[in-house]
Amino acid sequence: MAASSKSSVVLKAVKQVMVQMCPFESNVRSTREFLFMVGSEKARATNMNCEVSTVVKHDKSEPVVDITFTDGERLVMKGAKLTGQEMLQAFQSRCLAKDTQAQAKK
Amino acid sequence: MAATLCGTLLAKSGWLPLTQCGRVRHMSKSVTRHKRPMHIIKQKLMAVTEYIPPKRLAAGAYPSQNKKVEVESGLVLILKKEVKKVFQDCKMIAVVQNNASNSEDMLTLRHRLHKHSLTVKFFPNQVMRSFLKDSEFCNMAPLFIGSTVLIVSTQGKVKEMLSTLRGSPQMVLLGACVDGTLLSAQGVQHYSKLPSVSVVQGELVSGLTLLSSRTASLLQHHPARLSALLQQYVSQQGAPAAEPRPQESEGVAAQS
Repeated sequence: MAASSKSSVVLKAVKQVMVQMCPFESNVRSTREFLFMVGSEKARATNMNCEVSTVVKHDKSEPVVDITFTDGERLVMKGAKLTGQEMLQAFQSRCLAKDTQAQAKK
Repeated sequence: MAATLCGTLLAKSGWLPLTQCGRVRHMSKSVTRHKRPMHIIKQKLMAVTEYIPPKRLAAGAYPSQNKKVEVESGLVLILKKEVKKVFQDCKMIAVVQNNASNSEDMLTLRHRLHKHSLTVKFFPNQVMRSFLKDSEFCNMAPLFIGSTVLIVSTQGKVKEMLSTLRGSPQMVLLGACVDGTLLSAQGVQHYSKLPSVSVVQGELVSGLTLLSSRTASLLQHHPARLSALLQQYVSQQGAPAAEPRPQESEGVAAQS
């Protein structure tokens, strides 16, 4: 599994991460990689209140990652045609944008 | 170089050379230590006139040079044998993804599972995939991506495994192979809710003998009722004799 250049995943602005996938399909690799990176000890230590839940299905549905932020915004990523890196980058850019917004408000 | 030297010497002495002698060519060397850069036209010519060997189309006549025969190392073979043994011995093999649980969590989990005689096995994905593609369990191969852990048991203790895994949120059950049948996560949950074999057998037997038992009870219905009534009569007779007699006889007449 490739490690991203900025390997720290900060979940401070995240309320809940819900991952839904069918492990027997062939398009779940990136979703599983994303789950591994987000569900790691370091990431979870950044925010103990954030729930990372996984729903394992078997109905040939597409893998979906649903992230709910603390201010109510939702980020939905459909991982069938994305790589793990792209998903992580999108997630981190949203987190960064939120951080800058929060700092600007202060 | 010699020509230039001559030219300079003669110029210093003051003698004006003839134009023919003075026609000196200053050419670069033909023999150099490095590779002499070719003129662009010569380069083009060499590229166009390169030798192209004939392609041999006969398959099998010459072995293809690009084919690499992969020889699996000794460790991989040993691990494969172990995996084979696990698949032969164990009734239940579950595949679980662990999202980087730390060693303490792992130890606690292993301890809890050990109480129910469930063992945790770690095998590299490459070994698993190369074993599975040759065996009959090839449909399990897509489960083995990322960091996976096998939970195996010789007895099918699915309920205990599920209850233990519920305690650790970062372990995600992906699928299981129970009694040679591949199950998804939901299938495993349904399997755990099934009643035991003896209960199911009892239900089956009772369902089959339902009709014949009904016939038997129908046949025995009348004599059984008569004997019950007579017993009741006897017990009432045995009770204090102050009981009024017509009531008893009325009761018996009404029921018969």
